[in-house]
Amino acid sequence: MRTNRLSAAALVAAAALALSACGGGDDGKQPVVSGTAGSEKAATVLDRPFEKPELVLTDTHGKKYDFAERTKGRPTLLYFGYTNCPDVCPLTVSNIAIARKKLSPAEREKLQVVFVTSDPERDTPKRLGSWLRGAGDPSFVGLTGDFKDIQAAARSVGIGISPPEKGKGGEIVSTHGAQVLAFSPKDDKAHVLYGEDATAGDYAEDLPKIVKGATP
Amino acid sequence: MNRRALAGLVLIGCATLAGCASDGPDLEPRGAYVPQPPMADMASGYVTVRNTGDAADRLTSVTSDISDDVRMHRAAGATMKPVGSLPVPAGGELRLERGGNHLMLMDLDHRPVRGETVTLVLHFARSGPVKLKVPVEATNYQPRK
Repeated sequence: MRTNRLSAAALVAAAALALSACGGGDDGKQPVVSGTAGSEKAATVLDRPFEKPELVLTDTHGKKYDFAERTKGRPTLLYFGYTNCPDVCPLTVSNIAIARKKLSPAEREKLQVVFVTSDPERDTPKRLGSWLRGAGDPSFVGLTGDFKDIQAAARSVGIGISPPEKGKGGEIVSTHGAQVLAFSPKDDKAHVLYGEDATAGDYAEDLPKIVKGATP
Repeated sequence: MNRRALAGLVLIGCATLAGCASDGPDLEPRGAYVPQPPMADMASGYVTVRNTGDAADRLTSVTSDISDDVRMHRAAGATMKPVGSLPVPAGGELRLERGGNHLMLMDLDHRPVRGETVTLVLHFARSGPVKLKVPVEATNYQPRK
């Protein structure tokens, strides 16, 4: 892995040399090669785990859903996002859906995946339901409710989301959470975080451990 | 500063020798794809445009057979901002990729599924338009880096 990184760096350096030799009009705005050749662990294990947030919202069937109560003692993934998000949100949800399919039926039964909207005004229960089915898995729980409650819950687990706001062109700009949190069935605390670079393969590798309450 | 000075020298060299490289931008789009969207109302699109020419260009708009409203977005942290154009630097590339800058195709005429092909036409400030036949990939598709 280390050698991969080094050789990647060498390649970049060589490419840079080649470019400047050719006189490509270097105006200092050259895109930089993103240097993630050597893959490190996707999971971040937290020194101080997060408590489950108090979150009573509405699920995709329009029913009340008490997050802490319903997921008590169950391995749970929690993600804050919105359905008008074309890029990162479907990518993240789809990665988790693909990984979930690789679990044994018993493991699958235990795992709870909860998607909480960061754009509750536009994300009705019905829309959330269709989107989650389309993005990956009908078993995923989709929650909507009052933005302030959602934002406070997100903040309590270290996730910052801003209220949707109107952009210059009149379009609505929302934010998604930067991480997926994994709660342990043993103590109901989030010990692990995944960023948006986590792949379906990363989740597939880690989920059996998460389901057992171990850290990857 | 050294770099800039070097680039300047090379440019002077080019001018004197004349014909060191072709005039203007020389664009080569590649690796375009559209991930299968969760619903029919929007999809994202990605492409890398390499510019081997000696002048910069800009991607100014994109049109498609499945959407009358294709926007360009610059990713800014956990949010995204619509932009009027995206730079394709000389000797560099414009890279639209997952988690980064991307195209947003709005109000699709249908939900494209994996295996389908859609059309994207890239319009530039200087170069002529480029029509691409773009594969629809899995929702979580990401090309190997």
